[in-house]
Amino acid sequence: MKEFIEQFILESRELVEQATASLLALEQSPQDAECVDATFRAIHTLKGGAAIVDFFAMERAVHAAESALSAVRSGHRSLTTPLVGDCFACLDQVSRWLDSMEQSGELPVDADAQADHCIARIAAEDRRNIEPDENWFEDFAKRNQGLRSKARTIVRFTPHSASFYRGEDPLALIASLPGLLSMALEPVDQWPSLDELDPFACKLVVTAFSAASADAVSAHLQGHTSECDIRTLDIGMGAAANGSPSVLTEHSRKLLEAQIILLDEEQAATFAGRVASAGLVAANVLRHCRLSASADLVVRATEQSLHENNAQYLQQAIANILAPAPAAAPQLAANAPEPAQVETVARSLRVDAQRVDALVRLTGELSVVKNAIGHVLKLAGASANSMAGALKGPHGDLDHLVDELQRAVLGIRVLPLRTVLQRLPRLVREISAGLDKPVKLLIDGDDTEADKAIVEMLFEPLLHIVRNAMDHGVEVATVRRERSKPALATLRIRASRQEGHVLVEVEDDGGGVEVARVRAVAKERGVASSEVLDAMTDEQIIDLVFVAGFSTASQVTELSGRGVGMDAVRTAVERVGGRVAIDSRPGLGTTVKLMLPFSVMLTHVMTVEAGGQMFGIPLDAVVEAISVPLETIVGVGAAWAIVRRNRTIPVFELAGLLQGREQRRDGHQAVIVVAAVGGQWGGLRVDRLGERMEVMLKPLDGLLTGLPGIAGTTILGDGRVLLVLDLAEVLQ
Amino acid sequence: MTITISPTGVELTGACPVEDAEILLQHLLSAPLAPIHWSACDSAHSAVIQVLLVAKARPQGSPNCPFLRDHVGPLLVRAVT
Repeated sequence: MKEFIEQFILESRELVEQATASLLALEQSPQDAECVDATFRAIHTLKGGAAIVDFFAMERAVHAAESALSAVRSGHRSLTTPLVGDCFACLDQVSRWLDSMEQSGELPVDADAQADHCIARIAAEDRRNIEPDENWFEDFAKRNQGLRSKARTIVRFTPHSASFYRGEDPLALIASLPGLLSMALEPVDQWPSLDELDPFACKLVVTAFSAASADAVSAHLQGHTSECDIRTLDIGMGAAANGSPSVLTEHSRKLLEAQIILLDEEQAATFAGRVASAGLVAANVLRHCRLSASADLVVRATEQSLHENNAQYLQQAIANILAPAPAAAPQLAANAPEPAQVETVARSLRVDAQRVDALVRLTGELSVVKNAIGHVLKLAGASANSMAGALKGPHGDLDHLVDELQRAVLGIRVLPLRTVLQRLPRLVREISAGLDKPVKLLIDGDDTEADKAIVEMLFEPLLHIVRNAMDHGVEVATVRRERSKPALATLRIRASRQEGHVLVEVEDDGGGVEVARVRAVAKERGVASSEVLDAMTDEQIIDLVFVAGFSTASQVTELSGRGVGMDAVRTAVERVGGRVAIDSRPGLGTTVKLMLPFSVMLTHVMTVEAGGQMFGIPLDAVVEAISVPLETIVGVGAAWAIVRRNRTIPVFELAGLLQGREQRRDGHQAVIVVAAVGGQWGGLRVDRLGERMEVMLKPLDGLLTGLPGIAGTTILGDGRVLLVLDLAEVLQ
Repeated sequence: MTITISPTGVELTGACPVEDAEILLQHLLSAPLAPIHWSACDSAHSAVIQVLLVAKARPQGSPNCPFLRDHVGPLLVRAVT
């Protein structure tokens, strides 16, 4: 069972992601049948999964969203922004349930109430939509009252906007409709002016009365059932008082039948929730079909079922309403073409991330052993051992194979950036609504890949940057108008692979960073002296927004540029060995660039020796390694510095920093490694320079966890541990 | 040729295919008041009828095709009035 649940959680998360992405796409292009189908498919599968693990609350909640989307698909309901919001709320609820299941390994206990809430939200939104939806029916019946007695079927046909391109002629189909009595032609929304008309985009909605049966009408419109709403006018019950026809549509019947099935379940624990929700759904469906008398019956039956703890009353009431079934409905369902199912062969394999990590660890150990053999070979060569020569060839091969293995293993952990980027459109949509700034988000290169650890850490920094861009970068509507910018701002996220790195750029078309304002705020906060700040270039000033304290202490609105959270962005990015920079174009926009390593595990380091201990320095940060006469290191107050290319660089004794050793003045020459991290330069005085190597970095664990200044460890060929420095911390 | 322009207006003849929608649209844009005759029209693609609806055109004559005559014609009259 536990494995079952794990699998369910895994699959459901994927489906929630798919549904979210396709819902967003659907909101952008509501006429796109493929988007409707994709959303519907994901939600439907999600519901199926819930049923398999007996998670009825989730099944009910997702069912409500599915029904709403089904109504959208059949044209009964329009896809409104609130409806999309409700579907998102339902998916959010599912995610929360999944989180809870992941932690406890069991189904959530209070899920029924939460499911009821989701269902009620969607149902309430549905009620708001009933009026416009029903008008077509009444209006047409009123306009054609003379033919009402002859008519047996009414059909509303909304051909796809691309139907002309597809070579279809919707009106030719209506012209040959069996028993055609009357027809109305209306625009989908409203007619454009003649000069704006695209003559090949179909904007027609056809409503027609037919003297033929719904059966015959649906057979004639076969292949277009998803674009048609066919209702039979043979009504024998519940006609509304005003004489307008009230009928159960095919979809309504299906919904009612589903409630009967739901009530069949024998789960005592969820009884009340199930009955209440089935009653609510059934009553809403009936009201939607203008059968308010039947809806009242259902409400009473629901109360009785709840009171007597017996679902049969409600079941029977729904069954009675369904009883005089018009022949068309089942036929229609049988005739409806099933969407083609594309059989996909499993091209991917789900593997527990821990197993992959174990493989990565083992490969790391293997490379350590390889380095050890290399070391032994070197010793053997030095002692003129005859075997040394013979072993050189195989060792070369081993070296090569282990390298390849390392790359292959790291390749397993690779994920496309899509996994993170696809979460942004929805957040942008929400932030945009919250700030009342319309923003269009464009994402390029979301198939760019990087190590799982990099991809996963990327979300928070990106969110900070996107939020900042929308809050402070993008101007308010009035300012954009003054600057002749389109009201709809553009936020573009580009991801690309740059050799061993991944570049992620977030570009907005806002006002750019206000350098003067940042400089003024920096002075106010005493980030540096006025003279120093005045002497700084614009780039250096812009870089100040990354300074911790500077940004967090500032008021967002006061700065009216970049600010909050940017220090957190730099910290997160540099923790994995990346770099972040801002490119501001005053009045035109800002681009924040994140340069991230492809993988955090494989790092190029330069080894150095200090205080009898070997250290690794990430090569990314090393500017140069120099040997200078001791007298060029000058005292500046209590500290020491050297001047290189007109830049004063503070010099630290590496062993001193880490082991508390005093600054030495011995010898004639000093070996200094100059490094730069986040615009901060520093020189590390070491005893000796070692070699360059590519190592698999192991994060600090056990007693070493949290050791300041150390990013991770790796084992050298001779068995010694190499501590790899976290330069951002060392140079602080 | 299913659409012809003559000094007396635009004439729809025979079965007007989807391509005629563009031709008709251009004619109507350049001469919005040109009378349209459809007595000799046997059928018209939905796209052509859509152009007539948007242009609020009221074709003259009675077409051969019962669908155009009995169902589309009255809708076009209603669209104009």
